[in-house]
Amino acid sequence: MKKKGINFYLHIYFKILAQDIKSKMSYRADFIISTIGMIFTNIAGFVSFWILFRNFPSINGWSYYEMMFLYGFSLISITPVQCLFDNNWNLRMYVYSGDFIKYCFRPINLFFYYQSEIFDIKGLGQLAFGLATMVYAWTKIGLACTPLIILKTIIFLITASLIMIAVMNAAAATCFWITNSFFVMDLALKFRDYAKYPITIFSPVFRFIFTFIIPVAFIAYYPSLVILRPDNIPVLSWISPAFGCLFFWLSYKLWMHGATKYSGTGS
Amino acid sequence: MKLKKYFALTRCGILESLQFRASLLVMFAGNLVYLTVVYFLWKSIYASSGTNSVNGMTFHDTLIYLVLATALFNFMEMYAVWEIGRNIQTGKIVLDLLKPIKYRSYLFWSYSGSFVVNFFTTFLPTFITVCIVTSSAVPLGINLLYFALSIVPAVIINYSIDFIVGTICLYTESIWGINIMKQVIVMLFSGATIPIAFFPETLKNIVNYLPFTSIYNTPLSILLNGNPQNANILTMLGIQVIWCIALLIVSSVFWKISLRQITVNGG
Repeated sequence: MKKKGINFYLHIYFKILAQDIKSKMSYRADFIISTIGMIFTNIAGFVSFWILFRNFPSINGWSYYEMMFLYGFSLISITPVQCLFDNNWNLRMYVYSGDFIKYCFRPINLFFYYQSEIFDIKGLGQLAFGLATMVYAWTKIGLACTPLIILKTIIFLITASLIMIAVMNAAAATCFWITNSFFVMDLALKFRDYAKYPITIFSPVFRFIFTFIIPVAFIAYYPSLVILRPDNIPVLSWISPAFGCLFFWLSYKLWMHGATKYSGTGS
Repeated sequence: MKLKKYFALTRCGILESLQFRASLLVMFAGNLVYLTVVYFLWKSIYASSGTNSVNGMTFHDTLIYLVLATALFNFMEMYAVWEIGRNIQTGKIVLDLLKPIKYRSYLFWSYSGSFVVNFFTTFLPTFITVCIVTSSAVPLGINLLYFALSIVPAVIINYSIDFIVGTICLYTESIWGINIMKQVIVMLFSGATIPIAFFPETLKNIVNYLPFTSIYNTPLSILLNGNPQNANILTMLGIQVIWCIALLIVSSVFWKISLRQITVNGG
């Protein structure tokens, strides 16, 4: 079979996207309520952040605005997983009920087809919230605003988001083996809340764990160091894009491995 | 025997949660990671602040408070909104309404089994661990009895709020958004994410007029207080009981009114 090009996939993606948005729009009330819910979550997250820092002006040498930058950075970098890979949450239901088999019969990449089926618009509110937070912190810290820095920020944001995508993919893929992956996914989702803290607060053992075993430190801490502390960038920050790609590729392989092993329910 | 039918549901619940041992294990692991993060985060917060006690809470107090808040959450959270919402969407609710038992009691008692299991698998181990880690900073005296007493209204208040929010789903047929809003508000205003003692004055005053503090803050403050004044404890328990009764009435009246509205798709 001839390998299909990226144009072909983009074309298909937008076709599926249009269908998804149409079907979402037919449940308008649900859409509006969900969006409000998402905004609520972001506001509450910010309020708890604010309450905490009212009491403590700095944590481990990190000032209020630097922490806020980290917070905004982590919000932006978890947006792609929210918007583009939300169908992972339904995977266990499809696998359990046997409906997953329908994806196996399509003549396109299984992973691509499955993930493209849902686009979660709610995530865009989070993106706006994250951007506003980051820009506010950016101006308060007085960081320079050159094209090079902005380019760096964008590249590191994208690669950071790959980590979160990888974590969620891997968590969702566990359902091919243990059926009920909800708890694994819920656990993985919690990791994103830890991403907003500087890794230096942990003891060396946990620093190692959060860097190499559960790579939460790559979601915000290491990439944002490149922008926040340009004088003293650790090697891990520079290789975080490579890590992002590597983890994404690994999670993709795991997901596909599970999917090809899937034998259906016989119905 | 009136209670017999309820205990039958409890028994089913226990058997059901024991069936999902893998998820219990994952939940346990997730808690462990969460507690580690909380421990190091607050440790470095207190280290940076330079004082031993902030807002009248020492590091150990805060740690015990937050750890046990999580343990309480795992123990009390029933995801009743999800259950009601799913039952509405699938139409299963019709079958439950036909049962010769009130839907509200049916749902509560079918969850009661997981209370029992979660108490022994999460709350008790966490409690013992926290006692050891903080080298018995938890005062072990009469306050344990008061704590146990205040858990009962806390569970009922939590369930009633869930049930009221679940009833709203009858109108909106949207689950995710409603549920996330409820969860965010309860978690923040009950003091489960940040102890109420850290809140700014105005916010503290507002929160004191809301029922949410009765869920987590009241039991935990009672637990942390080694020499309780009787009058003090009685007021706290009294407020809990008043909220408990008020919310029970609201939830049952609201449910009765809403049942007339119900439209079920097929079923």
